[in-house]
Amino acid sequence: MTKVPKSAVASLALLSLAACSTGESVDLDGSADEVDSAVLRAAIGGEPDQLDPHRTSAYFSFQVLENIFDTLVEPDENLEMQPALAESWELSDDQLTWTFHLRDDVSFHDGSDFMSDDVVYSYERIINEELANAWRFDAVESVEALDDYTVEITVSAPTPNLLSNLGGFKGMAIVSEENVESGDISSNPVGTGPFLLSSYTSGDQIALEANPDHWSGSPELAGVEFSFISEPSTAMAALTSGEVDWTDNIPPQQVEDLVDSDSLEVEVIPSNDYWYLAMNINEEPWDDARVRQAIAYAVDREAIIQAVSYGTAQENQLAVPEESIWYTEYDQYANDPDEAERLLDEAGFSGGSIEFLATNEYPETVTAAQIIADNLEPLGFDVSISQPDFSTWLDEQNSGNFDMLMMGWLGNIDPDDFYYAQHHSDGGSNAQGYVNDDVDALLEAGRTETDESNRADLYSEAAQIIADEASYVYLYNPAVIQGWVPEVGAYQVRSDAAIRFRDTTLEE
Amino acid sequence: MRMSPRAVTRFLGMRLIHSAVVLFGVMVVTFALIQLVPGDPVRLALGTRYTQESYDALMAASGLDRPMGEQFFAYIGSAATGDLGVSFRSGQPVTVLLFERLPATLSLAGAGLLIGLLIAVPAGLWAALREGRLADGVVRITSQFGVSIPDFWMGMLLILVFSTGLGWLPSSGYIPISESPGGWLRQVTLPAITVGTVAGAILTRYVRAATLEVANMGYVRTAKSKGLAPSVVTLRHIARNALVPVLTVAGIQLATILSGVIVVEVVFAWPGLGRLVFDSVASRDYPMIQGAVLLIAVMFLLINFIVDVLYAVVDPRIRLA
Repeated sequence: MTKVPKSAVASLALLSLAACSTGESVDLDGSADEVDSAVLRAAIGGEPDQLDPHRTSAYFSFQVLENIFDTLVEPDENLEMQPALAESWELSDDQLTWTFHLRDDVSFHDGSDFMSDDVVYSYERIINEELANAWRFDAVESVEALDDYTVEITVSAPTPNLLSNLGGFKGMAIVSEENVESGDISSNPVGTGPFLLSSYTSGDQIALEANPDHWSGSPELAGVEFSFISEPSTAMAALTSGEVDWTDNIPPQQVEDLVDSDSLEVEVIPSNDYWYLAMNINEEPWDDARVRQAIAYAVDREAIIQAVSYGTAQENQLAVPEESIWYTEYDQYANDPDEAERLLDEAGFSGGSIEFLATNEYPETVTAAQIIADNLEPLGFDVSISQPDFSTWLDEQNSGNFDMLMMGWLGNIDPDDFYYAQHHSDGGSNAQGYVNDDVDALLEAGRTETDESNRADLYSEAAQIIADEASYVYLYNPAVIQGWVPEVGAYQVRSDAAIRFRDTTLEE
Repeated sequence: MRMSPRAVTRFLGMRLIHSAVVLFGVMVVTFALIQLVPGDPVRLALGTRYTQESYDALMAASGLDRPMGEQFFAYIGSAATGDLGVSFRSGQPVTVLLFERLPATLSLAGAGLLIGLLIAVPAGLWAALREGRLADGVVRITSQFGVSIPDFWMGMLLILVFSTGLGWLPSSGYIPISESPGGWLRQVTLPAITVGTVAGAILTRYVRAATLEVANMGYVRTAKSKGLAPSVVTLRHIARNALVPVLTVAGIQLATILSGVIVVEVVFAWPGLGRLVFDSVASRDYPMIQGAVLLIAVMFLLINFIVDVLYAVVDPRIRLA
């Protein structure tokens, strides 16, 4: 499957551990604490469908759950995995056995101790009940508790992205068996995270209060109230009139003005999601790399970005943005219609009518398709755009019933996740039909290379071949846009769009 | 009461049968329409990448793997006993979710209708009594504007002026009336004005028309010619009789508001039925959509029934038949 709704993305990470442990300004009797800590009011764009982290796939759920649950490891601001519930781990020489050493001072919000059985229970629940994230355990053969605070995971083949699978987002949270068995987890979840749920008013808001015993130290805030405001203009009005302190539901057309405003802090950073164009390599003329490259030169990314995001997205000719540790600099394809024409002449192709597969479920695909159609017209292409619902879109894609399509790939942390499936000749999402033995070899090597810098080189090389041959024509990284009142401090916008309030402060 | 107990029983019996038929129709149509809407709830619920096994497991858990006919009769059967199923999205019983949201919508609709009537009754009477004069023209033109105002635009305008601009009233949120009547009032004012403006504009036109009709009746001329004070004629003879048809329209307006506050609830982040329907449609939560439509249909029928009964009580010329 090719696309991942926004939902999938929610991971979070925590500032570095070092930063967390400085947050221990809590006094032990707790009374003085109430005087200087405040409740942060956050407006999010919709209501969580449910609060069971293993069953929901909604981004709105993960915005809240990020603050209630923990994972074994978690991504820092560069999306590198850092210790969380596991304080350290080792990998066997054959790369098939991972041993995790858990913190021994963690308890769930109901007071019960967190131990290795909880990890085994949580993972087996996802695997055995075939929950949405079961695919993340594809390589996992067993999960065992060696003792109260040691968990051993064996895999069938070297899996360098195991950590990002286990900790990339709170869909892999460690849950409490009692909470699950009682059925309470969907509305009253019990986690180990920095905040615990104190009340939930259907349709209106969820209130969290600080967990003073969190392993990273007590949060600075006394609590967080999430209210659900789906209309961006209303959320913006609530922020400007001081009814809320923080929101991520900001109308993109207002961003330019807001960034310069003194009364609000608004930050825009590129996310790790990307949107791309792909052509059906199994069909003529797209089997000729020169024709695909011509399209890459003809597409006006700047115009697309203006149209789909009011200029907030960031142009990119490869998958992930500069902020990522997997970033590779690449700018082969300036918008150059003459070069496009030259390549088409060289390939002996003079245009024709083509079918652009967009979908109304992701309106950006329709908007961009219109611009691309306009870009290609001078080259002799007559583009007709179809926009079926997403189920039909997937069927059409998988049966190769398209000339050209646009889609997004979201929640990208580990390059194996976003290169192998799409560009390896055996990849499960390689609907465009790209085959290159060198790329296959590089992507296979990347799966087993455990030295991080060697691994980065492998993927960098593969990515450049992929873009040179235009297996995908990468377009842009959409923005994460969040805003808050100046009284909010120590909050960091993250490229995985996870919302982490555990170190955040609020002046009254 | 001017009716025999037998007539009342027969009336109620007929209405009950009639309502059951309508509700059955609503269920059939809703069930069929939902199936026609593109989008697979299981695929939407799984969201990201998933395995075929995950897909099959969720299909089976939500009963969507069973034949369509079986699904329909299972739904009708359990609905008849008051069990509307379990929401795909939240895993909670649909009836619980509906009744959690109902008070917010009822209180908004009630407040909206009240504002509508506060506008419509004086404006309509005033315009009718000055038929053809400037006041009448002003009311008629203003109400035409009122009918055409989009809820969304009106809501945003009120937020801009009274929340961001003047800072008098909150732009969003909800406090139950049972928790704090004052807090509820602050929260409900802007959404209720939004709802009430359109309802008020529609009702104004009915009040005006009904008043004109009554004002030309023989008994009004008689009352006037007897030398009764104009205020007595207006209140006792005209207004009281003119308001009978207005009652019907107001009832229908209330039902319309209840089923049509989706936009207003979305704009003001009001946690009512409308937003529940909105969210449920987005995720193709079939049981939730069916349950919400059924509840709205029941309320519609109930309000119509109450209006019919009140009608007979208010106007002795009307017989229940």
